[in-house]
Formats: sequence, C-alpha cells, structure tokens
Amino acid sequence: MNWTRPQRAILDLPSGSRAFVTGPAGSGKTTATTQHLLDLLSSGVPGASILLLVPQRTLASSYQAALRTPGAAAGGQVDILTLGGLARRMVDLFWPLIAHDAGFAHPVLPPTFLTLETAQYYMAHLVRPYLDQGFFESVSIDRNRLYSQLLDNLNKAAIVGFPHTEIGERLKSAWSGESSHLRVYDDVQTCASEFRRYCLENNLLDFSLQVELFRERLWPSLLCRAYLQNTYRHLIVDNLEEDTPVTHDILSEWLPEFDSALMIYDEDAGYRSYLGADPSSGLGLRDLCTDEISFTEPLVIPPTLEGLGARLGQVLDQVQTLPPGLPDGLEALDYPPEPIRFFPQMLDWVVDRVAQLIDEGVPPGEIAILAPVLPDALRFSLTNRLDERGIPYRSHRPSRALSDEPAARCLLSLAELAHPQWNRSPSKVEITYALLQTIAGLDLTRAHLLTEICCRMREGRLVLEPFGRLRPDAQSRITFSIGERYEMLRSWIEAYVADPEAELDYFFSRLFGEVLSQPGFGFHSDLDAGQVAANLVESAQKFRWAIETRAEPMGQSLGQEYIEMVRDGVIAAQYMGNWQPPAADAVFIAPAYTFLMNNRAVDHQFWLDASSNAWFERLYQPLTHPYVLSRAWTPGRIWTAADEFEANRAVLYRLILGLLRRCRVGVHLGLSDLNEGGYEQRGLLLKAFYQVQLAAGKDQANG
Amino acid sequence: MAEIRLRPSQENILAFTGGRMGISAVPGAGKTFTLSLLAARLLASRALGPEQEVLIVTLVNSAVDNFAARISGLIRQTRLMPNFGYRVRTLHGLAHDIVRERPEAVGLANDFQIVDESEATRILHDVALAYLRSNPDLIESYLKPDLTEVDAQKLRRDRIPDLVESIGLQAIRYAKDQELSADDLRQRLDELPLPLPLAGMGCALYADYQRALNYRGAVDFDDLIRLALQALKTDEQLVLRLRNQWPFILEDEAQDSSHLQEEILNLLAGPGGNWVRVGDPNQAIYETFTTANPEYLLEFRRQPGVRDEDLPESGRSSASIIDLANHLIAWSNTPQAPEALQGALIPPYIQPTAPDDPQPNPPNRPELIYLHEKKLEAAKEIETIAASVKRWLEVEENQQRTVAVLVPRNARGSELAEELKRLGVDVVDTLLKTTTATRQSAGAIANVLRALADPLNGHKLSRAYRSWRGKVEDDSKKVVERAASHLHRMMRTEDYLAPLPGEDYLEKIGLHTTDEPAYHELAAFRESVRRWQAAVLLPIDQLLLTLSQDLFTEPADLAVAHKMAGALRQRTHEHPDWLLPDLIGEIEEIATNKRKFLGFSSDDTNFNPDDYKGRVVIATIHKAKGLEWDRVYLMSANNYDFPSGAPYDTFISEKYFIRDRLNLEAEALDQLRVVVHGDPEDWYEEGHATQRSRIDYARERLRLLYVGVTRARQELVVTWNGGKQGQAVPATPFVELINFWESLHGHR
Repeated sequence: MNWTRPQRAILDLPSGSRAFVTGPAGSGKTTATTQHLLDLLSSGVPGASILLLVPQRTLASSYQAALRTPGAAAGGQVDILTLGGLARRMVDLFWPLIAHDAGFAHPVLPPTFLTLETAQYYMAHLVRPYLDQGFFESVSIDRNRLYSQLLDNLNKAAIVGFPHTEIGERLKSAWSGESSHLRVYDDVQTCASEFRRYCLENNLLDFSLQVELFRERLWPSLLCRAYLQNTYRHLIVDNLEEDTPVTHDILSEWLPEFDSALMIYDEDAGYRSYLGADPSSGLGLRDLCTDEISFTEPLVIPPTLEGLGARLGQVLDQVQTLPPGLPDGLEALDYPPEPIRFFPQMLDWVVDRVAQLIDEGVPPGEIAILAPVLPDALRFSLTNRLDERGIPYRSHRPSRALSDEPAARCLLSLAELAHPQWNRSPSKVEITYALLQTIAGLDLTRAHLLTEICCRMREGRLVLEPFGRLRPDAQSRITFSIGERYEMLRSWIEAYVADPEAELDYFFSRLFGEVLSQPGFGFHSDLDAGQVAANLVESAQKFRWAIETRAEPMGQSLGQEYIEMVRDGVIAAQYMGNWQPPAADAVFIAPAYTFLMNNRAVDHQFWLDASSNAWFERLYQPLTHPYVLSRAWTPGRIWTAADEFEANRAVLYRLILGLLRRCRVGVHLGLSDLNEGGYEQRGLLLKAFYQVQLAAGKDQANG
Repeated sequence: MAEIRLRPSQENILAFTGGRMGISAVPGAGKTFTLSLLAARLLASRALGPEQEVLIVTLVNSAVDNFAARISGLIRQTRLMPNFGYRVRTLHGLAHDIVRERPEAVGLANDFQIVDESEATRILHDVALAYLRSNPDLIESYLKPDLTEVDAQKLRRDRIPDLVESIGLQAIRYAKDQELSADDLRQRLDELPLPLPLAGMGCALYADYQRALNYRGAVDFDDLIRLALQALKTDEQLVLRLRNQWPFILEDEAQDSSHLQEEILNLLAGPGGNWVRVGDPNQAIYETFTTANPEYLLEFRRQPGVRDEDLPESGRSSASIIDLANHLIAWSNTPQAPEALQGALIPPYIQPTAPDDPQPNPPNRPELIYLHEKKLEAAKEIETIAASVKRWLEVEENQQRTVAVLVPRNARGSELAEELKRLGVDVVDTLLKTTTATRQSAGAIANVLRALADPLNGHKLSRAYRSWRGKVEDDSKKVVERAASHLHRMMRTEDYLAPLPGEDYLEKIGLHTTDEPAYHELAAFRESVRRWQAAVLLPIDQLLLTLSQDLFTEPADLAVAHKMAGALRQRTHEHPDWLLPDLIGEIEEIATNKRKFLGFSSDDTNFNPDDYKGRVVIATIHKAKGLEWDRVYLMSANNYDFPSGAPYDTFISEKYFIRDRLNLEAEALDQLRVVVHGDPEDWYEEGHATQRSRIDYARERLRLLYVGVTRARQELVVTWNGGKQGQAVPATPFVELINFWESLHGHR
C-alpha cells in the first residue's frame, strides 16, 4: 500500500507516544489508524488491553471489519466501546460500592438498567399525572416526543457535566420569546427531578444516571480507576470531535496513564452536536499529547468542488477570504434546466439523471442520492423508480416503530386474541391481516372470506371458529390446505387460552417457534418478519425486566401494559436494519448525515429536495436546547434569532463541506417549485447556491 | 422587458419607487396585471440585494399561482435558478413562512402540524358535543318557548350541536384575532361584575378546542396568523431580518385585509418601509363572521404620508353595465337608500377606457339588459333561465361568446345545472362543485381502496376497474362497459383474483373466445389488483404511492397523491388504531370536497371563462370574483339573499327555533367584545348585536350584487323569486336598478 506522509507518521509512531491526529475528512486517517491497530496486535499486545473508543458504535465499522478479516489479528477481543457503554459496565461491576452513597433506596438489591424505551415508559408513567394538572399546556408537541425530550435534557446534563437540577434554570435564562413559555421550563425541571427521584427510589438506571455515576463516583474512586488502568493499556479514539465533553474530561485525566494513545480528530466536522458532541473540548486534548500529526490535503476533492465549497462558505459568512486561484466550481453543479413544478417530478428527474450517468459509464456505486431526511415513503418512491429502470441501489432497511411493522401488528393481534382477559379484541380487519401474514399461500380475497366466516363474536369478544364447523362449500372456497394451517393456528391459540397467562415475551417466542416459523406459515421464509418478531420478543423482555421490579401495583398484567404502550407508540423499538444489499456496486441512498457517518466518497452526489429547510434546521426543540445545554454556552446569555440564524449557517456549511469533501466529480441538485406538501420553499442551501451564481455572474461581467 | 402600453393611472402607479401607497381599483381595472408589472419593474431596477425579495401578499391560492406565472413571464433571468427575487403568498402562507423561521419561539416543534378545516371542524364538533353533554341548560334558555317537546328533542339532536359548534368557531376566531388565549379570556370573564353566558360558552369551547390541538402537536390556520404576529412582536431581530429580506411589500385584495393581516404587514414594512396596498372596497364580500374589513384599506389611504391613488378605468364592460354599477354606488350614497345600505358602496366610479386603449370597452347594447321585474316562483325562475340560456346558446354567433349564471348559493346552482342538463345544454359547473384534480384523484384512490378493503365485493371491484381505466375514448367505451359488468355480477371474486387450478373465472366462462377485448381488459386489471393486494400491508403512504403510480400519469395528480399519502400517514400517527376502512373515510372526505387540501391550489386556479365559449358556466357570485363573461344571469335578487335591513327581511343566521330571532353567533361575539374591551358604558344588551349583524350582512350583500353586475361585459339578465314560502319581495337595490333603467330607457 502507498501510504501518504502523515499516514506513514502514524505507522511509525514510537512506542509510548500519545498522538493527536487532525485533518479533513477523506484524508486517510482512519485507514492508517486501522493499520496501527493491527500492528499493535501483531506486535503481541493482547487485544483485551486495547480500548477503542468511539462516539457511536457505527463509527467503528471499519475497525470491526479489519478485525474480522481472517488472519488479521490474534490475541483476544479488542474492546470497542462508547463512553456510555463503558459507564454501564463499570456501574454494573462496582454497584455495591456506590449504590448507598449515590442515594439509591435499596442499595443491596441489584440495579435495573433502562433502555431508551423503558426509560421513556417510566417517564410517561410519571409525567401523565402532571399533564392532567396542566403541565406543558402551552406547547404543541406529541406525547412521545415530549417524553423523549425530557429524557434528552437529563442526558445532556450528564454528558455536558452540569447538575440535572439546573436544566430548567439554564433553559429559562436563555429564553427570549413569550414570557409565558418560561413556565414550561419549570415543568421541565419538575419532571426531570421527579424522574431522577423515582429512579433512585426504585434502583432504575437510565443513561443519564449511568454516566453521572461513572463521572462522579466511579472515575474518582481509586478502585475503579485502578481497575480501568490495569485493564486498558492502549487507547485508540476515532471521531473525537463527535464525542461529548464528559468523555473529553475523562480522557484528559486518563491519557497520561496509557502505554500508547492515538486520537483522531476530524476538522470541520461535529455533526452530532445536537446529541452533545463538542469538537472544541475534543481539540483541547491536543495539548496533552506528545506527537501531533496533521493531514493537510484531502485525497478526494477536486479544485472545482473545493472552489464551490469556499464560495458557499463565503456567502454563508463562514469563510472570510477566498483562497486565490480557485475556480467558482459552478461547472460541477447540475440542476434541472427547466423549472420543475412538483415533487414527484423532481424524483423522476433525479432517477433519469442517474440512469443517464450510468449509461455514460459511471458505476452505480459511484453515485449517492442524499436527502436531508429520508422518510420511508420517499425511500420507497425512489427505489420504485430505480427498480423500474433496473438500477441497483443500496439503502438501510427503514427503521420503523413496532406499531408500524405489519409483522409486529400481526403478533399483537394474535396476542390480543389469545388473552381474552385483557378485553382488547382486535378488529376483523386486523385479524384478516394477521391471517394473511401468518398462513402461507393465503391470498387477500380468501383471507377476507376466512375472517368473514370464521370470526364470531362470543360473550363480547371475537373468537375463531374451528374450520371443521364450516359448511362444506365454504371450506372448499377457502381450500382445505389453508383450512388445515388455519386450524393449527387456531387450536394453538385455544390451547394457550386454557392455560394461565404466560409472560408476553414467552408467548411471542412460543407462538413464533411452534407455529409461525414452521413450514406452511408466513414467517417461515420471511427473514424480515422473523427479525421483527425477534425484535418484539427482545423489547417485551426488556420491558418486563425493567418493570417487574416496580414497587407499586399496576392494575393490569405486564403483557397488557406492554401492548398498550406499543400501540400508543411509547414503545417503538426502532432499530437500524442491515444494509440491503450488504455491499455491491449500487447507488447509495441515505440521509446526508448517514452518508457522512459512513465516511466514503463517490463521484456523483444528488442532493434531493435542495430547497428544503431540513438541510440546516435542527430537530424539534420546544422543551430542550442543544446549544443552551452545551458546555460552550455561557449561562445567563439569551439565545436570539440571530444566534439561531448563525447556527443554521454554520451547520449548513459544515454539512456542505463534509459532503463536498466526499465527492469527486459533481453535485446534482433536485429542485421543485413545490415541496412534498405542496408548499413553495427556498431554503438557505438553495439561496446560497443562487448567491454564488449571482456573484459569479458579476465576476464575469467585471472581468 | 417588452414594451407594454399603459394607461396614465397605471403609469402613475408604476412610477412608485418607495414609501406607502394605497390604491382603489374598480372591477376590471387590471390590478393583478399592474401589481405584477410593478414587481417585475422593481426586480429589473436592481433595487434588490441578492438575499432580498419583493413580497406579494394576496387572498387566495389561485391568485398566488397567477401572480407567480405573470411575474416569471415578465422577467427572464439567465444562468440563475428559477423563482428567485420575489415571493407570492396568501396571508396563511406568509404566516407559515414567518412561524417556520423559528417555531420554538412561539412554542411549536419545528415540524408542527397544521390541521386543515376538516380536522378542525371535527375537533370542534367533538368539543361542542362534550360541552352540550355537561352544559345542556344554556342553549335551552335561548330556545323559543312555544316549541313542542318533540320538536325540541329533534332540534337537540339535529340542529343544536351545529349551532354550538358555529358559536364556538366564531368565538375562537374572535379571541385569536384579539390575540387572547383561552386562559386570558377566562381571567377576564371571571373579573366581570355580571355573567355573560354565551361568552362563557365560547371561552369553554375555545379552551377545550385548543387543548385538543395541543394534544396533536398542531395549530389551525388562525393560530398560524396569531403566532406569526406574536413572533414578530416578541423578536425584534426577526423583524429586522425579515424587513431586510422583503424591502417591498405589495398587497392585493387589500379590501379583505383583517386587523391581524394589517398588523403583520405593518410590522414587516416597518417605519418608512415600502408597502403598496391595492383593493376595491366595493368588492369586500368576505366579511361576515370573518375579521376582514374594508375599513382597514380606507383608513390606510387616509393616513398622512400615504400616496392615495385610484385605478378607475376599466375596459371590461359596456357603457350600460357601467351605468348600472355606478348607479348602485351613487344610490347607496344618497338619503333615498335604506339607512343600512348607505355608504356600503363608495367611489371611485368606474370610467371607460380611452378609445385607443389596448382593452377598449365592448360596444354598448342597452337592449341586451333585462331586469326582470315580475315575481317568479322559485322553480319557475330556474325553468325560465334554463330555457333562456338554451335559446341564447342556440344562436350561432353566441357559440364564440361566453355566458354564466351566477347564483347566491351553491344549492340553487346545482338545481339549475340539473335543469340545464335535462334540456341537453352543455353545462360547466366546475366552479360550483370544484371538481378538482384533488377530488378526482381522491375519488379514484378511494374506489381502489374500497375494493382492497372488501375484495369479495364484485360491485366495488367493478368501480375500482373504472377508476383504473380512467377516461376512455368512445371506441373502447363498450368494451369497458362489458368488462365492468362482468366484475359487477361476479359472485366468487376469488375465482377471478386468485383462482385455483381449473377454477379461473375468465377461462370457465370462455371469455377469451366470446369477447376477447373484454378478456384482455380483465386479465390486465387482475394483474394490477394482485400488485395492489400485495401492497396492502404496507404503511398507508406507501400503499397510496403504489396505487397512484398505476392510476395516474399527470404530474399534478401524482403530486396530489403524494401529498395525500403524507396526510394519511399523519392521520395514522394521530389515530394509531386506524385501519384501511377508517382511512378510506378520510379520502372520501377529500373526494367529496368536504376537506380542503392546503398547499396544492389546483382547485380553481386559472379558471378562464374564455375556455368555455358556447357553453354555460354556473357559479356562485363569490366564486365568480375576478372573472367576466359576455352575458351574465343573476338569480334570486330578492330580499332573502339581498336584504336591506328592513323589518320584514329574514336572515339566514337567525334560526327559527331561537327566541326573539336572535342571531346567537352575533350575540356571542358581542358578549366577547364586552369581555375583551369591557366598557361599562357600552355593556352587552341582548338583541343589539343581532340588529347590527343584519346591517353588516345587508351591506355586504349589496356589494355582492355589485360584484355580480360587474361580471358582465355586455349582456345582463337579473331575475328574482318569491323564496321557499313565496313571501320574499324583490331586493330594494334591484328595484332601484329597475327604476333607474326605466328612467333611462323607458319601460319594457
């Protein structure tokens, strides 16, 4: 392999060095660092003594791939962790040591670790009575988001490192809008404090509490510190700029203890800032290092796109002076020659253009279609169009809430049928769909027929009639082979009803294992549905584990409670599916940030819906605030429209630069007069391009 | 820009370079044209920076498209992205833009939802029912004492919930216009020395309604405007930035401006800012129970420092039509007019254009004006007009001319359309029905979804087939009929859709030998249905997109389907328990036009009467605003549809079952006025508001009549009828027109 000079510098680091690597995306830092990891292992360093720290696990994928390569490394498992993962491990290990002092009501009992979902469940449980008292009345926000924002505030306090009791005050002091909104922040504080109190009372540990315990009790304790220092002798940190201030604090104290350390810092990044990423505290670690390696030249970006990036930076007020001699880059920019009116027409144009590029010899794998956000339906519209033209593509299997997954809904309906004591009869339509998915070979028409004939109301609830009781002509219309499968399912449910209620996760596992996954049933060959079922089982199980220990009685069975939470969307169990297909020469479809986090370059990028505000606006915010709750924020300052405006510009520029640095040939803008909703939109991104065009026109006129 | 010949009054307006200007334009004066030209000139003058735009605010969505098309036609920019440099918005659209700048500043998540009229109505309906359940007595106290218990029961079931809902709607709108929350209102109510029960009811409905919206994370259209103003008032930097972004504001249809609209634009223009308002106070016909008022424009024009201009010339109508319209203005400003109507119309009078004008007035043909004095029964009026239209259309030369019948209400128009169709006349009733792309797409999708939700039903399958087929040419009509009929009669649809070996319906009846074309139709349709059935488990938005790709080819249809998909997706978030049948109901609402779809303005965009030469267009007068025809019929010119405040007039808002003919919506608003502006000297007195509301209504209806008359280029026919009970009399202003006409041309 031909290593560049800075890459060589990484590979040649002397032992005992603590190196800080900086450089733009696409300059080859991770490639060299992966080699550094393999070199460590092959030099005899035990894998278990290496800590590979990343802000989120997907960012470790290239390391994981290298470690999986046969023969690449021996010497035990390298620990790939996030700080949250490390905190959880330590809290679990040292629980008896800290439980009492940390204020838990039952220090001798084991703790219950909460997932995002179960935390949300408890938050919902605690907040509901407050909502009835009129809390949050002036805020328009759906319930599930309300709960998750309240949790988000606690998490921010933990990863930034301020007491959770200051959340409300911080938000209040930065508020510049209607004074009546200030009350909402009092409500926010009340709920945060109440949640924390409840957790301490019941030995529940949400993410924020795990991090806080680690930061305040374990890290300072000699015992834990000695354990960590003995376990991990070598440190590799990638994407330091995407990690949190608390991570950076701990690293700054830990760094001198390692035998070797290598930390990688991407310049002009920090895409996870809404999740608490703090590039500036990450950069502060540079001074503690013995070596500094700087990658100055990106490997990918051509001068045209560099010029375009610089000019966009200039109109967005992020670049003061243009480097001399750069072209304006407009020739690398492509958009529909005639204005396009409607959104679906824009998708047609994009796919036409993609087809044209492929005809011209561009490999599909060198094309990425990027959107600011990629809802299920948009992905579906795009992939449909690509399918029609036989263009290969790859995209994540969409992450949907369980209540949106047909396979999960099917299992929920069957669970309701099998638990008459819940008094939650599924509707006939739900039963039809459940049968349709369950019984292999059943078509929609006969599924309706089967439901029409076999579903009977008895004592106020729906029951399934035995197939044998149907009139012979009805049996033959439905067909006997379908009837047989139906009968297997029905009698299984009947037998289950006769027994005492089982745990719900156990019910799902049994139903899946004994019936649905068998030959002749729909889940037998549908791997996706199997995955959803597994996900449901896991989610129900985690829910049970987290809730079983609850002190107060619930009034209904855990299973019923769970079903209601899923149907309400409080429990969503969203997960990222695998890439489909895993790797191929295929057009890449993803949200822009996912593309950045994937960290690869392509020749052509399509930016969908370029007029959308979603390219620069941060997510929902009425109950929290990523900037005000960040470390860089001076408490007491007021967050103004100008701050917002400036933040939007900075965010947009960072994104543009990240994308352009992963582009080799050209950018294609998908534009339509009206957006998906039928509204005209001309967001900051499009305006910036327009201004670059205007300025270029003037330059031409002048010169 | 190409050279365009302009009238001096237009030149005068186009000389505008800055400041504030108020313009009164008469019907047909070309104000949209003049404003578009002004926008284009401002753009061409390079007075704008790269980030700046001319902001144009207008009343309805169709006008937005109209403006955008005109301006983009007037300016051609090269090597630049399209549509930059100006922005055309309705007030709602503008408010949306402003709120979107920083939703959290007004307590919204940044993907906040906007509930449309139908969802808002549904919410309010539920709120009203809940209110009635816990407060049954209040409305009872307003019922007429002599109602029988049977009648009262029926009213409680059929009419009272609607009435309460309507009171709620007015109260909520009023409170929002006054920028008051339900809490604010409740506080003020509690401080009153005496209870005001209708205001109390309005306040309770408002609070419950708003709670329901919050629960959905949503706002309604009125909130959008209120919140936009709030954002501007609380965030000085936002205002400064928007002022910089929109250095010129051009406002069309300013006669229908509301207090909030004026305040928003005033803040955006800022002191010394550039703001042009154009309108025709005589065409203010949207004021009843809205907060719009032509007084705002008039007051603006009187302000010091505001250039006060007129656009008085109009080439639209012949001298006789102009005479009639001008006489209505003149009469309403004399003591002879009923007191209620005095000053309801105001100058400028309409002036014909100069002889060399690019748009000269049509030749004067006074003999083609018919003001029908004689009373007609309601049914007879329809027959008479239908027959007259038929005769007129049969005249060869009229094949190249345009004609419309304008009615005060939709129902009347539908009756007329029926009669005309019976006579074999080619009727264009799209303005009446608003048969739109949205409706048609929604109808087709609903048909297919019904078949998917009930695949055992041959009838539904047959209808889905017709929708799938879409418009058919004459030669294939019969094949389609035969195929549809097969489906309609099918008993065991599974033998067609998913046949077992040897059971295929098409094979069993030997269709490929007896009727091969129908066989191919049904075989192809079956493929589509199977594809749709396979998609039935997909989330609703994806199912819809799948269907729409098979059903539509027009970009507008596909775009509407795309939006519908998103809207239904949103519904399933709001109602997680909803399944296909519930969603079909939703689509049916769109298909039957009970639900308006915000965003796509395909509705009556660019309705051009000249596209319908030789056919008759039927429209309400409201819908006819901005349009013109060679011949116009105006129906129902009686004192029910055009009252003048006389004691014997009857009013639509005064329910027969309410005591003392009280207009409860008006009474409720008046009580709220007292709550808000609490002046002990001007305390609420029952019945006063009902009287005042009669006057306001009568004045607006006079303007509506004026709008109707000024739709005609050359020929005008006005008739009246005796109403349902036969007790109506001709409208006073109509009688005045007859007298005026006879004084000029003698009795005919």
